[in-house]
Amino acid sequence: MRGSSFGYLIRVGIRSVFKNRLMSFAAIGVLVACLMLIGMAGLLSLNVNSIIGYLEDQNEVIVFVEDGTDAQGLENLDLDLHSIDNIIEVTLITKEDTLASYKERLGEDGELLDYFDNDIPFPDAFQIRVDDLARLDDTLATISTLDNVMKVNAPTDIASTIVTIRQAVYVGGAGIVLILAVVALIIIANTIKITVFNRRKEINIMKFVGATDSFIRLPFIVEGMMLGLIAATIAFFIVWGGYEYFISWMIGSQSPLFAMFREQMLPFSDIALWMFEAFAGSGIVIGVGGSMIFVRKYLKV
Amino acid sequence: MINFTDVKKVYPSGTHALNGITMHIDKGEFVFIVGASGAGKSTLIKMLLREEVPSSGLVEVNGYNLNKMKRRQIPYFRRSLGVVFQDFRLIPTMSVYENVAFALRVTNVSGRDIKRRVPYILSLVGLVHKARAMPEQLSGGEQQRVALARALVNNPALIIADEPTGNIDPELSFEIVDLLSEINRVGTTVVMVTHEHDLVAQFQRRVITIEAGRVLSDTAAMGVFS
Repeated sequence: MRGSSFGYLIRVGIRSVFKNRLMSFAAIGVLVACLMLIGMAGLLSLNVNSIIGYLEDQNEVIVFVEDGTDAQGLENLDLDLHSIDNIIEVTLITKEDTLASYKERLGEDGELLDYFDNDIPFPDAFQIRVDDLARLDDTLATISTLDNVMKVNAPTDIASTIVTIRQAVYVGGAGIVLILAVVALIIIANTIKITVFNRRKEINIMKFVGATDSFIRLPFIVEGMMLGLIAATIAFFIVWGGYEYFISWMIGSQSPLFAMFREQMLPFSDIALWMFEAFAGSGIVIGVGGSMIFVRKYLKV
Repeated sequence: MINFTDVKKVYPSGTHALNGITMHIDKGEFVFIVGASGAGKSTLIKMLLREEVPSSGLVEVNGYNLNKMKRRQIPYFRRSLGVVFQDFRLIPTMSVYENVAFALRVTNVSGRDIKRRVPYILSLVGLVHKARAMPEQLSGGEQQRVALARALVNNPALIIADEPTGNIDPELSFEIVDLLSEINRVGTTVVMVTHEHDLVAQFQRRVITIEAGRVLSDTAAMGVFS
């Protein structure tokens, strides 16, 4: 195909978006609606994930050390804890630290505790943070086998709840996006099918004038691409606006729960590029793919 | 130019559309193909355009053996013909100019040549002043002249006209066939399918009559209709 023909076919494809205004409008509308729903479902599950991740980070496990463990023993236990791969942070809290913090809490009455200065009744302890709460039970079991460990305190109930919620959000989010994507595909496929059906005569005429299949197809592909790109852009800005509005509404709200969560809401700029790429990509793929599949049917003349 | 050798066509439905047609049309001829509806004229046209392939027998058009033609060769074969249909088949979203130019664009003609050639062809059919009009704004006769311009613009050696006067007024019908005769005079072969005996009688050309999928009669120009 020579350059001038290629340019002509591209122009025809772009012009045809405007010439078939009604069908273009319908196709773009359907695509925008679907992309918006998918975008919102995606944003929701991403943010719930982020909030849950934040809650997960708040976990705290305390490992109490056997009484009478010497400095060498503490050092060995510290190394052992560090060597467990699910543990991301290990902080030693000596019995002196514990006593000091109690004194601080009692304020002026803290002097009462001076009596214990030479014989502190608290054990040494390690405060640790685990990475993956789902593996908490295994990690606790490993810790309890280490030397000089007296007792382990861990929020196992909260951990299992959070793990369950996270799994539900992940499966639910992915499920919703998947279902919406399938519904969108079906609706869009039908819209394109109608568009092509309306122009089957045109395709037929082109065949009789001696146009090759690729010559007929290219404008349709360009048209599909344009529709996909336009829809993706519109959907992107609507989702963006909606999201910003939601966040500002959260900030304005007095609810303490929102106050805690809004810090964890992902800023739109973090997601924007990724989301636009996904929108434009799927819009173009759907537009081009749909056009190619349905034009083929009328090329067999 | 056109060779049909014992061409038979049975559709999957079991209809025997053509029952052994043998005909030969030479370069430069003007031939009317007539017959009642259901005689097999439409199937014959479909064979000429390689829309259908024969169940048996040989079809050769413009030096192409249509029996053996591969799918991807069909567009190139069709460019060697000009086709005019009863229902005009203009592209409704394109202007008169663009409809004619389209046949050239398909064959990769340069933009400059298109600008030269289209107005010339439109002047031949007397429609230069309607170049910017859309098909829906034209009368039936005018639309058919646009279709004729489109068929001519590639300088085809063969024009196939399928009931070109079927949808237009009788007085304008004469005009269309007259245009076809003009085209034939400069050497283009013309095959016109019609059921209008008046026209056939007026123009005194070779007439092939089809009935029940067979050639009933084949009379040379200046024949029985005079």
